[in-house]
Order: sequence, then structure tokens, then C-alpha cells
Amino acid sequence: MLKIEHLTKTYGEKKAVDDLSLHIHPGEIYGFIGHNGAGKSTTIKSAVGILKFDAGTVTINGKSLTEDPLGCKRDLAYIPDNPDLYDFMSGIKFLNFIADVFAVPAAERQEKIRKYADLFELTGDLAQPISAYSHGMKQKLAVIAAWLHSPKLIVMDEPFVGLDPKASHHLKEMMREHCDSGGAIFFSTHVLEVAEKLCDKVAIVKQGKLVKTGTMDEVKGDDSLEEVFLELEAE
Amino acid sequence: MLKVLVKKQLAEVFKKYFYDAKKNKMRSRWAIAAWFLFFFVIMAGLIGGTFAFMSVKLCKGLAPIGMGWLYFLLMSGIAIVLGAFGSIFNTYSSLYLSKDNDLLLSMPIPVSSIIASRLISVYLLGTMYASAAFLPALIVYWVTAGITAARMICGIVLYLIITIIVLLLSCLLGWIVAKISLKLKNKSFITVLASLAFIGAYYFFYFKANNMVKDMIVNAVLYGEKIKGTAYWLYRFGRIGEGDFPAAAIFSAVTALLCAAVWMILSRSFLDITTSEGKTEKVRYVEKTVKERSAFESFLRKEFGRFTSSANYMLNCGLGILLMPAFGVLILINGKAILAVLNEIFTMREGFAEILVCTALCALVSMINPSASSVSLEGKNLWIPQSLPIHPKTVLRAKAALQLILSVPPMLFAVICVTAVMQNPIAEKLMICLIPLLYTVFCTAFGSYLGVKMPIINWTNETTPIKQSGFIAIAIFGSWAITVLFAAFYLWFGYKIGITGYLTLWAVLLAAFSLILFRWLETKGSRRFEEL
Repeated sequence: MLKIEHLTKTYGEKKAVDDLSLHIHPGEIYGFIGHNGAGKSTTIKSAVGILKFDAGTVTINGKSLTEDPLGCKRDLAYIPDNPDLYDFMSGIKFLNFIADVFAVPAAERQEKIRKYADLFELTGDLAQPISAYSHGMKQKLAVIAAWLHSPKLIVMDEPFVGLDPKASHHLKEMMREHCDSGGAIFFSTHVLEVAEKLCDKVAIVKQGKLVKTGTMDEVKGDDSLEEVFLELEAE
Repeated sequence: MLKVLVKKQLAEVFKKYFYDAKKNKMRSRWAIAAWFLFFFVIMAGLIGGTFAFMSVKLCKGLAPIGMGWLYFLLMSGIAIVLGAFGSIFNTYSSLYLSKDNDLLLSMPIPVSSIIASRLISVYLLGTMYASAAFLPALIVYWVTAGITAARMICGIVLYLIITIIVLLLSCLLGWIVAKISLKLKNKSFITVLASLAFIGAYYFFYFKANNMVKDMIVNAVLYGEKIKGTAYWLYRFGRIGEGDFPAAAIFSAVTALLCAAVWMILSRSFLDITTSEGKTEKVRYVEKTVKERSAFESFLRKEFGRFTSSANYMLNCGLGILLMPAFGVLILINGKAILAVLNEIFTMREGFAEILVCTALCALVSMINPSASSVSLEGKNLWIPQSLPIHPKTVLRAKAALQLILSVPPMLFAVICVTAVMQNPIAEKLMICLIPLLYTVFCTAFGSYLGVKMPIINWTNETTPIKQSGFIAIAIFGSWAITVLFAAFYLWFGYKIGITGYLTLWAVLLAAFSLILFRWLETKGSRRFEEL
């Protein structure tokens, strides 16, 4: 579903991502772990077409991101680390805006908005301007927007930050459902317990380079993910 | 602490002079000097020059008959109005709406230091405008009436008093706007209406100024006696410029007291205003039937939403929307008389009156330029269009379409009014209609080009992309400069080929440049937007 091969991205002299390769298959929840500044967000932004990269290829659902960026973007949804949404819109206007861009039929979008807004207890606030939303409410709105067009691939940067425990729980369930129905999820997180419980596969990145990847069992063995991560960081 | 905050505040105000956002690095010394020189030429040359001219006229009439105080009173009034007007729109957002409010308030920084640092940026902006009017007046007086130590010291004191009065007025108006806007639902529209009323009053007096000046010089003694009798303290205020030390001391003390009062008001209300969410009622969500829209339509609606959500944006980038119909009505009412006068003045250059009308329309449409700011206004939301399956050219088209939708209807109304009054042959009339309409398209292309070419994405206050950036200055002053060239070239050589020929030449040029710019936006501009 998402194939990143030999991705390299530099900022001036600094290599933020260095020859990184990952392959995320349909049905997989793929966790992306690393310390601050390790290159997670740069990799994610490059993979969703926001950042131009210097070398390597990104393929989404069989389409090259460089050659067919719009085709790739139609198949994915992205949630950034900080949900900076259009503050001047109301929640419902933002959702309809996203649905229009993805050409989601009216009946389908209404049903989904109803379902997810109720789930995240956001229905009552949908007419409010986004400027009045808390960080968590914006995050919930970004999640609903991401799920609105039934993307094949969902890429998220720290999706649990700002969410209350109930909403986090719902998001985890939604992630699992999405993958069970053939989709794929690639997300970064600092919460290793969540990654350990939720992810099918995990990749650990350090100074822009992939240091370990594989199924959860392959990566952590008998240790906890936290122990493995700290060990790799110390090397 | 205050020093650090002031440094940060000034760095933000003058960021564009020192930092090249395009290259993401500091500018060279030469570039910094060139930017400051450009700024100086605009302020001192253009605005200062206008007021210097006016000062000479007034001072020559008043100073020799011992009415220097009346001259200073008038020029002080003008400087105060200009200073307060120039910074009023900036004050509210600078004082209360900065994005770093939460960050600064969460740090161990006294609130008074935050207010003081904000006030310094408001003071600088107000002083800049007031100085453009008052400093030429002061110099003209010193040259005309002669310079003495008393006149020099008191003149400088008067200048300082004026700058502080401008600051106090700006703060009070900003505070009133803040208080009102906390209780309003449609804040942006009401702010726009209130501001327009203010602008209307300002221009009313501005256009009456010439007659008032003449009247003032002719009846100076009479008015002088009246003011002395009924408003003695205004007389004493004007006397400061003539070197009246006691008056300077009294007004300095009064200004200091007023400063203390305003400081008290601001200190007491600052936290409440900056941290308040407003008292508007919560809107209940009711599910409605949804209409599906194309991606372009959706982005266009988004651009409209952005435009109408900000009074600052509407006022600074959309003033021409109201001025053009007003101009049209003016031409309908007084057009024949105006054209007759212009034709009489320019008998040597037949058709120049029509060229001037076209120039005025083009100059007015230059004041509608949301496309120049709109890429920068994406700011932290830039990830949204970049991550969505939409071609960048569709996003840029939506931005350009907003400007066309805002500017074409008022321009159409204005050109219909103009052609209704003009008695020219049909071919000339058509060209007189076509040029302003083509210029409307050109301004859209030019603004969009500048917006993509020189964006500033990392701003903390939306005033930066709306009115304090290089691209917006070039969009307005550049467009005005082209209208000046349009008129000047006609006087120089255009009249030789006749009005229709000259207008056809410009129509071809405008169409060609618009096409080139739009082509750039669709190709290189789109790639540039993608990579921002």
C-alpha cells in the first residue's frame, strides 16, 4: 500500500532522512518510532506529498507519488502533528469542504459525519467556528475529516496527542477496523505502550536512518518495546 | 525583560527589512539599506512631500502676520488625525490579537512589560505617519519664520507631544474596538462598517482641506480671535511651536497625566480582553441537506470565508469594492462638469480627460488585492491544500477568482456610469470600458503572481501578510505606478496616435501581460506553491 524506497531528504547540510526504505502492506498498522528530530515528521510529510524529497521513491497503492501525486493523494488521508485547521470555518463547513475535494456523495458524507461526530461527541459543536475548538476537538475533527472519504491509506503524525482517553480508545478501534477492511495505517508516536499494543509492524528511526523494522515480535522479542527503543538509542 | 520583548516586537515589525523569507536567510547590508531607503522615499518623499507643500502655503500666509500658533494648531491636528488614522487598524490587532499572547502570558513576564512592548510598536507606526505630516511643517516654519533656541526646543517638545497624543488616541480607539468586538456576533462586518465611517469622515475633511486652508489664510485674524476667545487652550497649544515654554510645560504635564490614565485602562483590561473568548452565544448544529460542490467551488467558498472573516483583510484588500461604485455615482452626478473642466485644462492634449477617468478607475481597482495576501494567509494551514488531491493551479485559480468576483462587478458598475456620461464615439467608449476591465484582470494576475513569488508563511499576526509585507506594497504601489505611466505616456506621445489607438495599445499590453502572468501561475507558480 505504501512503499518508501531509499528516501533521502536534506535541509541544507543536514540529512533529515537518510536512505530510508519501508513497505506497508494492506491490513497493517505500522508504527513509526524515534526520538525528537529523528526524521519521523519529515518522512511522513515526504510520503504524503507535502515535502519534496531529494532522492528515493514513494509508491502509494501502486502509483508513484512523483509521477501521479494527485492519484496518490486521492487514496490517502493525512493528519499532521498539529491540527492547524481553517479557524474561520465551522466544524461542519470544514468537513464538507474536505468531502467536496474528495467528491464524497452527499448521503455518504452525512452518514459518516453523523457516525463519527456522535462517536467523538462532537455533533453539538459542529456549527461552532473552529477557532473556538480546543486542541483535542480540532484533533477529533481532523480524524473525522481523514475517515470521511474512505481512504486506503491513513498517515498520521502523533494522532493521540490532545485526545481524551475515550477518544483515543475510539481512534484505536477505528484504526483496527480500517485495517481489517483492507486499508493500511502508518503513524508516528512517542507512546510506546500504544505502539506495542496496536501495531502489527514497527520501524525505529534514528538520525534519519532506519535502525530496526519488522513485526512487533521481530523487533522486541521477549523485551518490551520501550527497552528495545532505549537500547537502540543508547548505541 | 522589557528590552527583550521590545527587541522581539521590533524584530517582528521590521522583519521584512532584515530577513529574506524567500531565501530563508538574513539580507545583506546593502539589501537592508535599500529596503530602508525605499521606505524613507515613500514616507518622506511621497507623504512628507505632500505635507511640505501644504505647509509652505499655510506658513507663508500665517507666520508673517503673527499667527504661527494657528499654523501649528492646524498642522498638529492634521498630524494627529493622520497618525491615529494610519495606525488605528493596526492597534487592535497589535495590542490584543498577537498569536504569541498565550506564550508570553504563560511565562514569568509582568503583564505591564508585554503591554509596554506592544505599545512601542503601536507608537512607532503612529509616529511614522504623524512625522510625515508634522516634521515638514516644523522645518518649513523654522525656515520661514527663522530659527531660535526657544522655537527649536519647543518645536521638538510639540512634536513629541503630538506623537504621544497619536499613541493615546490609537490605544483608546483600539480598546473601544476590542471592547465592542467581544460582544459582537458579526465582528468583522461591523468593524468594517465602523472603519468605513471613519475613513469617509477622514476623506470628507481631506477633500475640503484645500478650501479650508484658503479660507483660513484669508480670515486668519478673525478665526484666530475666535479661537483665542472660545478655546483659549487650543491657542496655547499652537503657541508651543512658536517657542512658548510655559505652554510646552503645561501640555507636557497634561499629556503625561493622560498617558497615566490610558496606561491604567489598558493594564486593567488587557488580560480580560486577550484571554476572553467573547460572549457570543453557542450556535446549535442542525443537520441540513448538503449540496455537493466541485473542488474549485469549494476552495473558492473557502477563500470567501477567509476574506469575510477578517475586518483587517476586508478593509486593507477590499476598500476599492466600495470606492468604485462611489466613483461611478460621483461621475453620474458631476461627470459632465468634471469632464468639461478637465477638457478646458488640457486643451493641448485632446482626450486626456477620458484618459484621466480611466486612470482613476484603474487606480481604484488597484485597491482590491486579496490575491496578493491569500497565499501567505494560508500560513500554518498550508498543509491542507498541499496534502489534498487537488492541483495547485486549482487552488491559485480560486484565489484569483475571489479577486475577480470582488472587483469585476463594481468595475462594471463604474464603467457603465462613466460611459453613460461621456459623449465620445462608440469605439472610444468601448475602449474606455475595456481598459479598466482589462486592468482589473491584470491586477488580479499581478497580485496572484506577487503572492506566490514573495510569500511570508511564518507570521504571528495576520497584519503582516495583509498590510506589512513587500508583496502587498508592490501590488498597490506598483499598480498605481502603472496607472501614472498610463496617463503620463498619453501626455508625452499617446495623444499623437489618438485616444482609440492609445487605448488599443494599452489593451494589447494589459492582455499580453495578464496572459503571461496567468500562464506563469499555472506552470511555475503552481510548482512554487507546491514547494512552499
